[in-house]
Amino acid sequence: MDFICNFPFFSIMISMFSGIVSAVLSRKAAKWLNLISIWVIWFLSAVLLYYIFGTGEIIVYKMGHFPAPWGNEIRAGLLEAGLALFFCSIMLLSMTGGRKKLMGEVVEEKHNLYYILVDLMLASLLALIYTNDLFTAYVFVEINTISACGLIMIRQNGRTIEAAVRYMIMSLLGSGLLLMGICMLYDITGHLLMSNIRDAVSSIYSAGTYPVPLTVTIILLTCGLAMKSALFPFHTWVADAYGYSTVSSAAILSSLVSKGYIILLIKIIYRVIGFEVYRASHIIDVVFVFGLAGMIMGSISAIRENDIRRMIAYSSVAQIGYIYMGIGLGTRYAMIASIFHILSHAATKSMLFIGAIGLTDVSKGSRHFEELTGSGYRHKIAGITFAVGSLSMVGIPLFSGFISKLLFAQAAVLNTRKMLPALIVLAISTILNAIYFMKTVIRIYTPTEEEGERITMKQEKVYALTCICFIALNIFIGMCSQPIVDWIGAGIDMFA
Amino acid sequence: MTEAFILIPVVLPIVAGLLLEFIRKLNKKTMNLCVVAVLAIEAVLVFMNMGKIGAEVELFELTDNLPIYFKIDNLGIMFAILMVVIWLLAGIFSFEYMKHEDNERRYQGFYLMVLGVLIGLDFAGNLVTFYMFYEMMTITAFPLVIHTGKKEATMAGLKYLYYSLGGAYFALFGFYFVFKYADSLTFTPGGVGINAGSHETLLLICALFMIIGFGVKAGMFPLHAWLTSAHPVAPAPASAVLSGIIVKTGILGTIRVIYYIFGTKFIRGTFVQTVWMSLALLTVLMGSTMAYKEKLLKKRLAYSTVSQISYIMFGLSLLNETAFEGSLLHVLMHGFTKCGLFLAAGAIIYKTGKTKVDELRGIGKEMPIVIWCFTILSITLIGIPPTGGLVSKWYLCMGALKSGIAVFDILGPVILIVSALLTAGYLLPITIQGFFPGDDYDYSGLEHKEPAKTMTIPLIVLTAGAIGVGLFSTPIITYIETILATF
Repeated sequence: MDFICNFPFFSIMISMFSGIVSAVLSRKAAKWLNLISIWVIWFLSAVLLYYIFGTGEIIVYKMGHFPAPWGNEIRAGLLEAGLALFFCSIMLLSMTGGRKKLMGEVVEEKHNLYYILVDLMLASLLALIYTNDLFTAYVFVEINTISACGLIMIRQNGRTIEAAVRYMIMSLLGSGLLLMGICMLYDITGHLLMSNIRDAVSSIYSAGTYPVPLTVTIILLTCGLAMKSALFPFHTWVADAYGYSTVSSAAILSSLVSKGYIILLIKIIYRVIGFEVYRASHIIDVVFVFGLAGMIMGSISAIRENDIRRMIAYSSVAQIGYIYMGIGLGTRYAMIASIFHILSHAATKSMLFIGAIGLTDVSKGSRHFEELTGSGYRHKIAGITFAVGSLSMVGIPLFSGFISKLLFAQAAVLNTRKMLPALIVLAISTILNAIYFMKTVIRIYTPTEEEGERITMKQEKVYALTCICFIALNIFIGMCSQPIVDWIGAGIDMFA
Repeated sequence: MTEAFILIPVVLPIVAGLLLEFIRKLNKKTMNLCVVAVLAIEAVLVFMNMGKIGAEVELFELTDNLPIYFKIDNLGIMFAILMVVIWLLAGIFSFEYMKHEDNERRYQGFYLMVLGVLIGLDFAGNLVTFYMFYEMMTITAFPLVIHTGKKEATMAGLKYLYYSLGGAYFALFGFYFVFKYADSLTFTPGGVGINAGSHETLLLICALFMIIGFGVKAGMFPLHAWLTSAHPVAPAPASAVLSGIIVKTGILGTIRVIYYIFGTKFIRGTFVQTVWMSLALLTVLMGSTMAYKEKLLKKRLAYSTVSQISYIMFGLSLLNETAFEGSLLHVLMHGFTKCGLFLAAGAIIYKTGKTKVDELRGIGKEMPIVIWCFTILSITLIGIPPTGGLVSKWYLCMGALKSGIAVFDILGPVILIVSALLTAGYLLPITIQGFFPGDDYDYSGLEHKEPAKTMTIPLIVLTAGAIGVGLFSTPIITYIETILATF
């Protein structure tokens, strides 16, 4: 089945072209095109995943039939195909869950633009997942940044413009560092294709010729991507960007965009620098420390928030901290935990955003805690969705968050040097999570005398269906974790 | 495949409870009938499982080497039987009681779900399954605590949640290390074998963390404060099961961890045992004193729970057979007694609306059956012969004297006896005032306020049960010896 080898390329192209075509389509047609293209990519990724599972071979696709050092390559292993599938699912759910809000919040002329941005976003995410070329990755990082800014700004009010500017400044700074890192890497290795760079890096490393430039490169790459994925202390843009944009954007940004960069970082660690070289540099300890700091500081910021959307946004900072902590532990097992947490957090965070929007809808549009009192009764399905998401974030068994915490802890126990700080911070951060999420859940289930607007499941069928899918997805990740962990492990082995 | 049938008692109430939450069109009478039918079937099923000791079933693997695994053993079945019996009685009681509260359907739904989760907890065959059900119990019992929806209840509920989750994470912290150093996490009588090597102190600290973590649910000092806020604010039948049963899950957790994972050899004579004994004794004394000073009836009973559960904890901490027998006897005895006392308090509140101890003058003339039951249950809890309390306390004291641990072998019994005196001091005045209101009492305002039969009958059965545990303690002790024989 040589035809299947084209699927990664098709996925990127379908998404990109549907974005371009959307520009001239009517609003409704653009919406349907967007929906259909995501579905098609979902299907292609599923077939690809199934195919790679069957053959167990990596698909390498030469763009334009140019051979390696000159041409551009796409590479798909188990992890890549699975992540593409997962990202499409989350994208789909985020879009359907926030559709109604989008209609209300974004002026009609801009709906087309919104779908274009979403298509471009998906294309860039897929390209980041599949590409085997560092410079292509950089190009798509930029496309990703531009479309993310657009997604933030599409709902036009003062706060979103400010948020988009903040996001852009931080993000471009990150891109700049990334670009410098890529340049230096090109300088010392003479390659842009990931596999070639790694061969060169490992020979440079064993020869010991460029120790300082190599370290600086690793710092630049890590720092640039950490900045873009909102690792503490580069997280200041998060609250505004996730807090004020329209809900689909917030869900996509928090659960996919920041994750795309982390996936790229993991790819760089394995496929560009090489895991052993990366571990030998002490950058990994710095990443570990900042991850730990993020776990605590993100939660503390979230506790202090009085606005449900901003609270969820700050909780992202804490969760990103978990992922970097896992990377910082520097073992294969910890990396599996990190990738698992990427999945679990992506599924949960988008769910929380979608749930929260239902709750604010029945609280006169206010996002402040006082107004949200009792909203869980006024909009039942949104309340349940939010509660399930919170329980998952706190790490209650049955839901996905528990498994990722379990995996992190198991990984930490295996690393004697970093065990104690990791476990202690994990415990503290879990309790902090419990404080703000449980506070919110109790708030939305505290009865009030005040009679507000009520929304039943029948009134918002699509929304209710999305919520149910989210809950099912979360429980699925929480209960069937063993196959997922096996898959991640096999995927990581294919990376190397 | 037939082995999977042992899970029916776990699944049935959870499914029934969930259905109850979602079926709107159900009048109260049919709902009550359904609830009682489910509870009765559940009781039958659990009793049937008694014949399947040793049956095991593995559902699926959570992650590497962490299966969700159930196994029925003697200890689990004993707790399960206690739970279903009391759940049935308190359930029947609640039909009448809940008439003056809203949202009956929600209450009954969660009431059933908690039972399913508890049975799962009893049958859990390894630590990870146990932990899963433990957390689920915390979550499903939460709506029972905040049922009234008042601000006070919500705050108490929050407190309950934070303490419980915090405690569970204390336990989880230890769990991570045990996972690394133990051969397996399957509950094995006598311990699974810990390869501590040079990390013995670390593992002992973990054991202490797990004791304190599970001790949160059992209301052990220093993390006991939630219990006295959360139990009194729930509706009376819910307080009865919270105080009579759910606190026992902390005991079960401790037994599982110390007797089935670490093994008593690992703990004996270490600082963990000393700290554990000291905390338990301190809680016994503190709980009784606080109960003595407390004016609100339900809160007084909650403080009494704090004290009584730590009797059990003390018995477990001694790590010898006699004390273990005493502890398990006390689990049964306290389950019946405290549940009965809370139901009696509920009946008083339901009929008269009085919540303070001082207001209860002459109550015995108004509702004689309830106060008689209350009296008998009080006597049981104090430990006056021939009731259940005497036997369990006897074994606990004997265990302490036998243990030969310096200071504690004498201090233990002394504190237990002082606390028994305090128990008499805080429970008997209610009876005395209730039956002998004094010369200046105005008998003209006296009304007959005996509650309905659905309330009195469960109360009488519980009282009978409490006496029964004392009178027929020999077969129970024989049964506990079969548990001990496996160690």
